Amino acid sequence: MSFDPLHLSPQGRALLSRRNFLHQAGLTLGGVGLAKLLAMDGLLAADTGRPAAASGPIRPDIDPRRPYAPRKAHFPAAAEQVLIIYCPGAVSHVDTFDYKPALTRYHGQKPPGVPAVTFEGPTGSIAKPFWEFKPRGQSGKMTSELLPHLGALADDFCFVHSLHTQTSAHPQGENFFNTGFTAEGYPSFGAWVTYALGTANSELPAFVAINDPRGMARSGKNNFGSGFLPASFQGTDFNAKHPPANLARPSAYTPADDRRTSDLLARLNAGHLERFPDDNDLAARIATYELAGRMQMSVPDVMDLSSEPASIRQEYGVESGTELKREYAKNCLLARRLIEKGVRVVQLFNGSDPSGGNGITNWDSHSDILKTHAMQAEIMDQPTAALIADLKRRGLLEKTLIVWCTEFGRMPFLQGNGTGRDHNPDAFTCFLAGAGVKKGFSYGESDEFGAKAVVNKASVYDFNATILRLMGLDHERLTYYHNGLERRLTNVHGHYIKDLLA
Amino acid sequence: MQTHRLKSAWLPLLFVAAAAAAAVDFETEIKPILSKRCLECHGPEKQKSSFRVDGRLALLAGGDSGKPAVVAGDPAKSHLMFVLRTNDPDISMPPKGDRLSAAQLALLEQWITEGAVWPGQMEAVATKPVSDHWSLRPVVRLAIPPIPARGAVDAFLLAELTKQGLGFSKPAEPRALLRRASVTLTGLLPTAERADRFVADHARDADAAYRALVEELLASPHFGERWAQHWLDVIRWAETNGSEANLYRKNAWIYRDYVVRAFNTDLPYDRFIREQLAGDQLGAGDATGFLVAGPHVPAATVGQEPTAIRQARADRLDEVMQTLGASVLGLTVSCARCHNHKFDPISIKDYYSLTAVFQGVEFGGRRPELAPEHPRQQRAEELHRQVQARRAQLRDRLGVWSEDWGGYSEFHFPARQTQALRVEFASNYVSVDELEVFGPADQGRNLALAAAGTSLVGDQAMAQLRGEIAKANDGKFGTEGWKARAEKGAKTRPWVEIRFPHPQEVDRFRLSSNREYYFETDYLAGEGGGQLPPFRLLSQRPDGTWQEIGDTAALGRKVKADPLLRQADEALQGLIADLNEEGPRHSFVGRFIQPVDTRVLLRGSPETPGDAVPPAGFAVLGGDLDLDSSAPESVRRLRFAAWLTRPEHPLTARVMVNRLWHHVFGAGLVVTAADFGKAGMTPSHPALLDFLASEFTAPSRPGAQPWGVKDLLRTLVLSDAFRQDSAPSAEGLRRDAGSALLWRFPPRRVEAEVIRDSVLLASGKLDRSVGGRGFRIHDVKKTYAQWQVTDNHGPQTWRRMLYQERMRRVDDKIFTAFDFPDCGQVSAKRAISTTPLQALNLMNSDFIVEQARFVAEEAVKGAAPSDHAAQVRNGFRLLLGRDPSAAELAASVEVARESGLPVVCRALINSNEFGFLP
Repeated sequence: MSFDPLHLSPQGRALLSRRNFLHQAGLTLGGVGLAKLLAMDGLLAADTGRPAAASGPIRPDIDPRRPYAPRKAHFPAAAEQVLIIYCPGAVSHVDTFDYKPALTRYHGQKPPGVPAVTFEGPTGSIAKPFWEFKPRGQSGKMTSELLPHLGALADDFCFVHSLHTQTSAHPQGENFFNTGFTAEGYPSFGAWVTYALGTANSELPAFVAINDPRGMARSGKNNFGSGFLPASFQGTDFNAKHPPANLARPSAYTPADDRRTSDLLARLNAGHLERFPDDNDLAARIATYELAGRMQMSVPDVMDLSSEPASIRQEYGVESGTELKREYAKNCLLARRLIEKGVRVVQLFNGSDPSGGNGITNWDSHSDILKTHAMQAEIMDQPTAALIADLKRRGLLEKTLIVWCTEFGRMPFLQGNGTGRDHNPDAFTCFLAGAGVKKGFSYGESDEFGAKAVVNKASVYDFNATILRLMGLDHERLTYYHNGLERRLTNVHGHYIKDLLA
Repeated sequence: MQTHRLKSAWLPLLFVAAAAAAAVDFETEIKPILSKRCLECHGPEKQKSSFRVDGRLALLAGGDSGKPAVVAGDPAKSHLMFVLRTNDPDISMPPKGDRLSAAQLALLEQWITEGAVWPGQMEAVATKPVSDHWSLRPVVRLAIPPIPARGAVDAFLLAELTKQGLGFSKPAEPRALLRRASVTLTGLLPTAERADRFVADHARDADAAYRALVEELLASPHFGERWAQHWLDVIRWAETNGSEANLYRKNAWIYRDYVVRAFNTDLPYDRFIREQLAGDQLGAGDATGFLVAGPHVPAATVGQEPTAIRQARADRLDEVMQTLGASVLGLTVSCARCHNHKFDPISIKDYYSLTAVFQGVEFGGRRPELAPEHPRQQRAEELHRQVQARRAQLRDRLGVWSEDWGGYSEFHFPARQTQALRVEFASNYVSVDELEVFGPADQGRNLALAAAGTSLVGDQAMAQLRGEIAKANDGKFGTEGWKARAEKGAKTRPWVEIRFPHPQEVDRFRLSSNREYYFETDYLAGEGGGQLPPFRLLSQRPDGTWQEIGDTAALGRKVKADPLLRQADEALQGLIADLNEEGPRHSFVGRFIQPVDTRVLLRGSPETPGDAVPPAGFAVLGGDLDLDSSAPESVRRLRFAAWLTRPEHPLTARVMVNRLWHHVFGAGLVVTAADFGKAGMTPSHPALLDFLASEFTAPSRPGAQPWGVKDLLRTLVLSDAFRQDSAPSAEGLRRDAGSALLWRFPPRRVEAEVIRDSVLLASGKLDRSVGGRGFRIHDVKKTYAQWQVTDNHGPQTWRRMLYQERMRRVDDKIFTAFDFPDCGQVSAKRAISTTPLQALNLMNSDFIVEQARFVAEEAVKGAAPSDHAAQVRNGFRLLLGRDPSAAELAASVEVARESGLPVVCRALINSNEFGFLP
């Protein structure tokens, strides 16, 4: 089944980045030439260009001069934007949202079936939840006192309790959750979505990664990178404290210098373009300089939290609690402002690699979970809950999907040290909220100890397929040709979970 | 792809013989089950998982899983029975409707036990896999089309162009041609002076001037740097592991230097491949960095679960497969890791046979094996001679002296015969991973090894948990060592006696605390390689009493006090440091381990091992290496390398000439440069590709070196196709919009490296030194921290970007945005994208601000201070290699007057023309 050069997708032809004349006057094609270009730009078509093909890749129709222009979804989208709140380190599901009374009954015992060794070493006995569970809201959902602010919003959440993953190591787990592969170098979720859909706001990046005040998570840039997709679709990383690199005008230049640089550049480029009038890449490059100029205004503007009223700052917790919490709260405010401005994908991190911080860097809690989870929860709970409540109040959840997630769960039993819980790849909980999903709903179950997902098991592929579906994308048809394969966010697996959809 | 030669001869005897066992009747009892429950998806209509049930051979062969569905006589090994019985929802069969009944299962099982008799098909024999896919067929050299042309390349191209009513464009103007050839061959823009000279030469004799230019560029030391960059891209080579800690791979860059040297010295490509696969056996130990080019997860991040440890090892071997597949084979080998390849005739057995070739390869470092003529070895010899001279000085003046070799310390003393040595440490705590003793008889033989019969004795009371004294002479370096602690204020501090089995002549004592850590890690906060306390060394007299040989603390004081001694000591330490930097030393170029048996891992999982496989190449290409699983480690790689570089191998030459074409013309004849399989593209000019492949392995020019890369590149860049203009034409665009037929030279964007290097060249700041340790842009970090970029623009970074330490997934905050690969996945070609971050970085970064100023400083030279026009002209010549037009001059002079010349240079660096290959 060699690719027939004549089998070209009509979509995405404009992404022939350079030397693309197809948009001009319907030119005839030297078939092989076009095919070569399509392949070069990862646009090999398998669907032969026939209209309404029922399967096969759907190529986004990307205008190289405006790679971020909004594009049509595969089907009507429930959610136009997505806010991912990612909690590196693995949040203990049995201490937060997955209520397991059996743990209390078996507390201190080591029944048969507990493995001798898990990720970090020898195991200890079963431990009851470190925080009390209480019923919340109309739904009566049982959640723990570790996250009371989030618990109060349980009626808005759509929990998935039956998640399981492929690895019990953090970096691979982060990679798997955010890119669909445990190895590095694959496009992140945000890159896939912006590649497919572009963005509504042309003044701001399409995909923003807000790193934790303590630094990047363990997989670093891989969590929001573009992998082998064009670099245009990588996440731009900045947070409330640190603007994007090289955004500001250098101190060596005055505003007038900047203007003169741009004017001279425009003149030089215009002259050059005359010699290569057909070259869209050159035109695209000129356009990005204009966009960069606009970003120099719009990004500082969106980062400026001073206009936020005191009541909002208080609600988010910008003025109270630990330094780390206040910084994270500012990131939450920034996230809301970005969503408000129409940024397509915002990925907000609550935790870093294990080297920064002040005794606590992320949710990893191999020892003294009582203390470490509490410290991390103090940072995450109030600001995150305020962010979700604020978005709801402003009506933004009508079109925005919220995804709260982590790479895996923690064990129902303790480690040999008797104070911490080890990694559990076989069961963990995440929740969705907002556009397109059920409210006050819980899907799937882990076993009576929270050790393994058993009822309506949901893989990370299924979870990601569902988020794509909510964004109007078919996870099997959002593909990119790389190195011999049509690559997907979900590899060759996964089904979207219909039950989660409102 | 299995093909079946079915014989239709009816074999009544066999059938009758089976039937005589009074058992299952195929036609009435088995065939109905298969027809009803399996045939819809696994028959003539559909072949899900490439599996069919409508023939005995098909059943014996099985499908994508790589397991035979039926093993005659052995239901337990028959995958068919497994999928019919398993409850695993992913693989249980049939996927819809009821499960097969117990009675049906019993029938099938009995049928298999009885030999799976299928009347009429018992003599059918599976032939070995064959393929008619173009890239797996032999290279065929066709006649050069009889078209008037400069050379064969042009004739093949014109043959296709004329079919479309097209021809080549007019020749490119000399400045464009110079820029094109310079960037293509060396990755650097020409200097303004070179441009003037070329234009003048070109006016006299265009062809001669261009030929001379090409020779000059091919001979440039920067040629190897440019082509090494392409090769390192494909195999995603980097100087960190990736994964969580993303640790630095110490001295990995000696492999980068190897690749640069290979291209510069025009090492024949077959030799280049053989050395990268088995350089340890060929005097090029630095070349095996190829094998461990990919990322890997270090043990600490894998965790302690045995399943995770096995999976991680399988993943590391797969990285080797990906490297080999993308770079040399041009096949997506890894697709056969879990099941037979969906498109290409590579079976899961082939995949694991190939992993068997590399079963002895492990990620890590070793001291590279270098031939005597290797430059690094030659330098080491020279330094060794100087070290000996300095030692002689110290021997004369002191008798005993210490040497710090970084990973370990040595104490030298006059040779003496003794049956034991005693070391007394001058601190309460000591941690030693290994101590060694050498004598004059054999400077390389460690006499302290337990394996040599030597025993260690220490104070039991000071022993620490898991720090047994025997660990100090077990021949193993690393975190496991002897650890001893004396109580605070105790009279006796840690000591050890080294008792030889019989008296030995000794003259050197060596010890280290964690040699492996020193060798393997770098740039980590709080890791100094482990400090050793001072000690006193004694030897035992025949009567059992002890005599002091030396005391390192006292020795240190003595050296410090005497200027002459201090000078001699410092000179020696300086030489040792040079030797550690420039000689062969422990480097991340892979290490070799005892290979274990290789098994097919069903569904890619180490938890479901299948049949054992021998080391071999692909069956479809006759990959039998005549080896079994007892074959020595290095023999596997050597023999595979020989198989891979046979001139008649259909892929090796084709893939490389296509890669060279790709980097010269911007797209390969096969556009999918790393996939020559069925999912890849077919060649645009098959005859030309084969002509070049044949010319590569068997050059027609008398005396030409087979597999010569420079020769092949010379052929390409001397063609008219390369020398023609790149401007568009209406007719060309109408018939071949992508310029794939090469009616013009296709212009394109240059890579991150070309932009950065050329800016430095224009500013006069480029340090052109070739090779050696790279420059750093990041901090010293804690083990599990992320790298932070701390200086991406200072003077130490003013080398070619090839020498910027290549860190996986680290954003350098300037040029990474220009589609610089993140080195996570193999990358046969870089994406070319346009993002506002590129614009911001190239307008506002410290690097550009500074360099724009430096270019301006260069441009001012030779122009009167008030002569803005001359300065602007110089700026244009430095960056764009041409004079400005009248309008450009006027506009630029105005900017220079108002904002200064640096602002003009900043605009020029950002111009499309600067980053464009015309």
